[in-house]
Amino acid sequence: MTLPVPVGVGLGLRSAFLRDVDRGEAEGRVAFFEVAPENYMHRGGRLPKRLESIAGRHPLLTHGLMMSLGSTDALDRAYLRTLKEFLHRYAAPWHSDHLCFSGLDGTLLHDLLPVPFDRGTARRIADRISFVEDALGVPMAIENISWYVELGNPHYAETDFINEILALSGCRLLLDVNNVFVNASNHGFDPFAWLAEIPLDRVVALHVAGHEPWDDTLIIDTHGADVRREVEEMLHWVIARCGPRPVVLERDAHIPPLPELLAEVDRIAAVYANALCRWNETHAPH
Amino acid sequence: MPPTEDPRLALLGAIIRDPTTAALAERDWPAVVASADLAPADRDALLRLSPQRVLVYRQLVHNRIANATREFLPRCAARLGPAKFREAITEFVAQRASQSPYLRDVPGEFVRWALTRWAGDRDIPEYLGDLARHELLDFDVRNDPRGGENATGEPLALDRPLRFDGSTRLVRYAFAVHRLSRDPKDHGAPSREDARLLVFRDASCKVRYLELTVFAGNLVEALLVDALPVGDALRRVCVAGEHGLDDQQLADAAHLLADLADRGVVLGAGA
Repeated sequence: MTLPVPVGVGLGLRSAFLRDVDRGEAEGRVAFFEVAPENYMHRGGRLPKRLESIAGRHPLLTHGLMMSLGSTDALDRAYLRTLKEFLHRYAAPWHSDHLCFSGLDGTLLHDLLPVPFDRGTARRIADRISFVEDALGVPMAIENISWYVELGNPHYAETDFINEILALSGCRLLLDVNNVFVNASNHGFDPFAWLAEIPLDRVVALHVAGHEPWDDTLIIDTHGADVRREVEEMLHWVIARCGPRPVVLERDAHIPPLPELLAEVDRIAAVYANALCRWNETHAPH
Repeated sequence: MPPTEDPRLALLGAIIRDPTTAALAERDWPAVVASADLAPADRDALLRLSPQRVLVYRQLVHNRIANATREFLPRCAARLGPAKFREAITEFVAQRASQSPYLRDVPGEFVRWALTRWAGDRDIPEYLGDLARHELLDFDVRNDPRGGENATGEPLALDRPLRFDGSTRLVRYAFAVHRLSRDPKDHGAPSREDARLLVFRDASCKVRYLELTVFAGNLVEALLVDALPVGDALRRVCVAGEHGLDDQQLADAAHLLADLADRGVVLGAGA
């Protein structure tokens, strides 16, 4: 069974405020929650019980961390089996993970490491996405990541690389507009030009988050600060063109109390509503 | 595991994991690039990179592993001190690294790797291994996928083993680390004693600790770890104690098992 896909602004569910959400403190304040299955898979005790309770009251979307789609290691079949159980338990309409590698030679490095933008890598990732979709029995979406170095000689631009994978695999795109902003800032390109090269009809959801400086020349996608106005403008640009979508506010560091996060959700929701008005103006039935 | 098929990924992996490669990258980036089996175009592109940018990934990975480990082992990390802890993390990433897709498994992987190393290190307090195991234990039991099973409905019998709640552990320490202050700033040392704890998750998902006597510890070991029938377990405890089972010990055993049943640790007779 697949439930209707939620749209509007949701929040990435984190253990820091899981108990507050379970107590009902986000009731009516978010369109949905996005969960990282890895935080609940192979786990007993209070945490999965709380998730079960929350899932009874809020729509859930799933977003993974450790599929390592860009790796040359074999995909972890045990991990996929457990993930499949999780996705079916919560009737996930799709599952997303990152366009990166996290594992190498049998070890897991627990970070989102960049892949080379070349044809061989695109084909390998597309093949792995197809394999994963078969294994999980749900469609996959890939998320564009923040990358701090270009690993080797690129055959093409990141947007072409992503488009190639989307075309080869038929998968969907989870568009992280903060990652686009971070990359544009670090590598000196126009983020709106980047967005214009992406097939927006393949975007199934968006991520927004904050980032922090590493040094004078580099910003890092830490999810440790409020969403910047420039990122909100990018969200507006996308929603005004592609219409209603689920938008996730992510926060993983310096997590403020839930009421503050919900206030930020409200702020993002206002941007979303404004963008949706713009989209309605151009898509209203005549 | 065969080596990475893509030399570009392998190079980044080596810079992240191997301290020698990382140090060389800072000192002589062209030498590191030249040592990788790269296509000429990739080599030229990588030579144009700032090694400091590449090394950002090393710091991100090491920070994440260190933070996760420190979160689970705050008192251990504090007793090691920042420099020694960081050094241990560096060696762990280089020599073993994580093999689990779950970040929460990393502290356990780290401790399993560190225990044998610490045992031979005179600069490390002798009790640190026990403390590390104890700090992990709370998390392990709290999150064990097992636990909360239904009672078997079968009465206890001498010729049958017992069924325990799946979260139950019996641990044995050479130091009373379970009595140390939970404050990471308190670096007090535990007394040396043969400590046995029965640990389980109760119905409200709280982790509970029971300190056992030698007799109770031996009995629970025979019942839980070796899954002996109750009668055999009692006989083994008597043989180990080099004395017969007296009325007091029988009463103690009955009291212990009844108490464990009341707490939901013993679920009844097993198969």
